[in-house]
Amino acid sequence: MRRHKVVLLSIICIMGIILFGVSPAAAVKVGIVLPLTGAEAKFGEIEKNSFVMAVEEINKKGGIKGEKLELIIEDDTGRPEVGRSVAEKLINKDKVVMLGGGYSSSCTFAVAGVAQQNRMPFLVNTGSADKITTSGWDYVFRLNPPVSEYAGAIESLLSQVIKPKTVVILHENSLFGTSGAKSFEETCQRLGFQVLLKQGYEAGGIDFKPVLIRVKQLNPDIVYMISYIMDASLLMKQAKELKLTPKMFIGGAAGFTMPEFKKNAGIASEKVISATLWHEVLRYPGAMDYYKRYVARFKSETEYHGAEAYAAAYVIADVLKRAKSYSSADIKQALSETNMMTVFGPVKFISYDKFKNQNKLPTYVVQWINGKLELVWPANLATKKFVYPVNWLTTWKY
Amino acid sequence: MGKNLAYIILGVIAVVFPLVVTSDYYLHLVIIALMWVIIGSAWNLLAGYTGQVSFGHAMFFGIGAYTAGIFVTKLEISAWWGMAFGGVVAMLIGLFVGWVCFRLRGPYFALATLAGGEIFRLIATNWEELTDGMVGILIIQTFTSKLPYYYIALALAFLSIYVIHLVMKSKWGYYFVSIREDQDAAESLGINTTLYKNISLLISSFFTGMAGAFYMNYMAFIDPHVVFSLHYISIMAILVGIVGGVATIMGPAVGAFIMVGLQETFRSAFFGLAPAWTSEAHALVFGLLVIFVILFLPNGVVGDWQKIRRNVFRIGTSSS
Repeated sequence: MRRHKVVLLSIICIMGIILFGVSPAAAVKVGIVLPLTGAEAKFGEIEKNSFVMAVEEINKKGGIKGEKLELIIEDDTGRPEVGRSVAEKLINKDKVVMLGGGYSSSCTFAVAGVAQQNRMPFLVNTGSADKITTSGWDYVFRLNPPVSEYAGAIESLLSQVIKPKTVVILHENSLFGTSGAKSFEETCQRLGFQVLLKQGYEAGGIDFKPVLIRVKQLNPDIVYMISYIMDASLLMKQAKELKLTPKMFIGGAAGFTMPEFKKNAGIASEKVISATLWHEVLRYPGAMDYYKRYVARFKSETEYHGAEAYAAAYVIADVLKRAKSYSSADIKQALSETNMMTVFGPVKFISYDKFKNQNKLPTYVVQWINGKLELVWPANLATKKFVYPVNWLTTWKY
Repeated sequence: MGKNLAYIILGVIAVVFPLVVTSDYYLHLVIIALMWVIIGSAWNLLAGYTGQVSFGHAMFFGIGAYTAGIFVTKLEISAWWGMAFGGVVAMLIGLFVGWVCFRLRGPYFALATLAGGEIFRLIATNWEELTDGMVGILIIQTFTSKLPYYYIALALAFLSIYVIHLVMKSKWGYYFVSIREDQDAAESLGINTTLYKNISLLISSFFTGMAGAFYMNYMAFIDPHVVFSLHYISIMAILVGIVGGVATIMGPAVGAFIMVGLQETFRSAFFGLAPAWTSEAHALVFGLLVIFVILFLPNGVVGDWQKIRRNVFRIGTSSS
């Protein structure tokens, strides 16, 4: 009998914790979907840290109309079907008033479908495939530019400085990678560059030598890569081993601006340029301040993904403050009336071309110079002069 | 009689369940678990009863899902037609796979199916005209409520278990088991082993394909990495079978609920009660679980139920 009593007692305790442990304090709940485990976990981490930082500040300054802003950050593990059920859980079980987050395009697309169907306002901060805001969904708003515009600054850099004749595009076979590659190919055709090869590779691939050997034989002027972290680092490392020397290696944002890229690729990351959406030196109020506080607190650099998340938290707070009530319709209305300045730049959701509820922002080019991510383009904002041409073999210390 | 009564009670609970538990979140987990009951049972028929261990059931699952999806995107008819045709298309592919792979035995068959699953994933990724590649297929769900999906999944799960139960009670069932036990002996007794292995594969692929079509209808989003996933579909099917109990009728059903429950428990870090790092431990715990099951419960939870009763609950010692 003793045994049974112990079992019974512990069951009652556990039930008690589940039922009453989480005491309901007055808080406005917002659900955030991010990849905290899996291959994209590093992006999720930098965004989560930034969200947490921003929310602490917002709550210190009085929260939302006297209530605390509470972010329920859930792990989508980088898989769209998990993202979907996470979104449903946040909406139905946690009763959040709106959704935020959204890292990988695939996950964001799936979550956006759920949000639209449940009439739940969703502020996307990173998922960038065009399709997310071209599907005509009126509950989906996007803070960051679509992937087809990522190369905007790269485009002017290419046509004004590098003037390549031939291009090779390598991309991960993901929604983000394929749509980015397709739009860059169109850009190249418009500018009159010849695309010698457009090659997708599998997510989680580790041996890129077969495709890089082919690239070496084609000897293009530039190699444009759309990759997440590990693949970005491995591509550059293996390009270095094969002594592949185009005029320039260009990353299409994502993995190429992350501190882990430098850590993993080592010297092979040097002088690589990448599209980016943000840099701490931009003259947006609080940008440098955010960067410094992030570095001081998390002992690691932050970049555009973090800034997106940090800005998204402030947009969410602003929207909830302005919303007449926390009903979906009112929050949606408040979102569409957003007009504010953030560390990530001005935020205003507009409809243009085929896009709906899309924030429009300029893009930039960064270059890894002496292990630091420097803003090199547009030239009037540059922190360092664009290093070009590059002698790759001496850069790689051969 | 006692057993029948238990099944009836189980059936009543299953039917009443969504009326009692109205939380969409728990309903969702049960729907996913029911879907895994179908896939696990189908895998079990081929691997557990017929002894042809497949590492590629994602292939049939994905084909079923893509059939339903392509119905919507290309033929512009309802994805529900996929429920009827997803299984059939998966069966046709199964026929081809059987023709190729049943020339091989044991580990070679397993490897061939493993490769098959990956081949179909690559086809779905690269044949963009048909599948939209990595963009995936997104449809709008027919119902916003989970209730219809629950009952459809329940009906399919029941159907798959019942059909497999009938098959295993028929002559075919004995042929399947005899092939598993000793293919050469079965052959010498005059059983056309290739034919019966194929029949087993066809039934298995049919139900798996149907589950795939259900997934498309229910989740409303697929891409090649989701439905042709080696890790999350093919291996999961094996785990469901092994943990629940290979070559038992109810084993995969029990296994499905255990695996889906565990997966969600870890993903949500024990429903938010445990520190976040525990959610990263799920792969590790799955691994340990499989080792544990193989070492201590080689016949799975259902197959070794008596053993569990004896050693864990310390009851039934007198009767055994």
